[in-house]
Amino acid sequence: MRSPTPAQRLDEAIDRILAGDRPTVEPELRPLVDAATLLTSALPPLPAGSRFEARVAARLAASSPFARAAEAVGAMARRELRHPGRIIAAGAVSSAAVGVTVTALAVWRTSRRHGAGGRAAHR
Amino acid sequence: MTDQQTIRETRPSGRPERDPDLAAVVAAQADRAAFATLYRRYLDRVYAYAFYQLGDHHDAEDATERIFMAAMAALPAFHDEGATFRAWLFRIAHNTIANAHRARARRRTEPLPEPFDPAAPNADPAGLVARADELRTVLRAVAELSEDRRQVVLLRFVDGLSSREIGQVLDRSPGAVRVLLHRALRDLAERLAR
Repeated sequence: MRSPTPAQRLDEAIDRILAGDRPTVEPELRPLVDAATLLTSALPPLPAGSRFEARVAARLAASSPFARAAEAVGAMARRELRHPGRIIAAGAVSSAAVGVTVTALAVWRTSRRHGAGGRAAHR
Repeated sequence: MTDQQTIRETRPSGRPERDPDLAAVVAAQADRAAFATLYRRYLDRVYAYAFYQLGDHHDAEDATERIFMAAMAALPAFHDEGATFRAWLFRIAHNTIANAHRARARRRTEPLPEPFDPAAPNADPAGLVARADELRTVLRAVAELSEDRRQVVLLRFVDGLSSREIGQVLDRSPGAVRVLLHRALRDLAERLAR
């Protein structure tokens, strides 16, 4: 079996430093282990601010599919309410569309009935 | 031999390690609200990684927010296939921060930020000054490392990732990461000895 390389031995020493130990290593690795020990002091953990944490948590919670859909509907409603003219125009157009459809349906049904009556009288 | 040559020669890696976050990941995949557990678990580490890379609290917060939003959106696609969740998360962090660096190329040459004062409040003032100077020197030396060596140092010492996980973040083998780390520390030791 091959013996561990210096890089592997250093990596194991770093594991121990990060766990709070002071590893014993051969003299060649000693300056590197000392530098690693210094790094643990020079690069301390940095807690994120509590306000930032809460803000991102709220954004993450708001980005669920249901919340996103509700937010989109709400945004559209808010946008449309800023332009009442658009709502009136949309209402008029949709009423006219309904009226035209109902009228066309009535005309079509009446013409079918007359057509059927005409054919019966012809026989 | 260059670092890139070493990386090619020491690829590929061995057996994957157990993912301690797997239960929380499965819960978050079933219910997005459960992502809060992973968010709280990794917020500080992701933020510290971003801060040490970008050198600015506002930029670090902005990057951290984008990292977690991206992670939550991509979580359904995460599968336990060798890479741990935290390696996957830090890969997103690495890519997000790389984009931030590209967008603000001027930050590339800026030194790492000043560290927090780790000394006790009642410590000797002269000792405090000497300690702060020493830490500043270390940070300056880290900032002067090449990009790949600096990445490895930050992921190992700030975020506590293993060599295997760092390999998953940077798309390199664990052996290549260990060699990079060895060279980075030798480089640092030489700079600090000057």
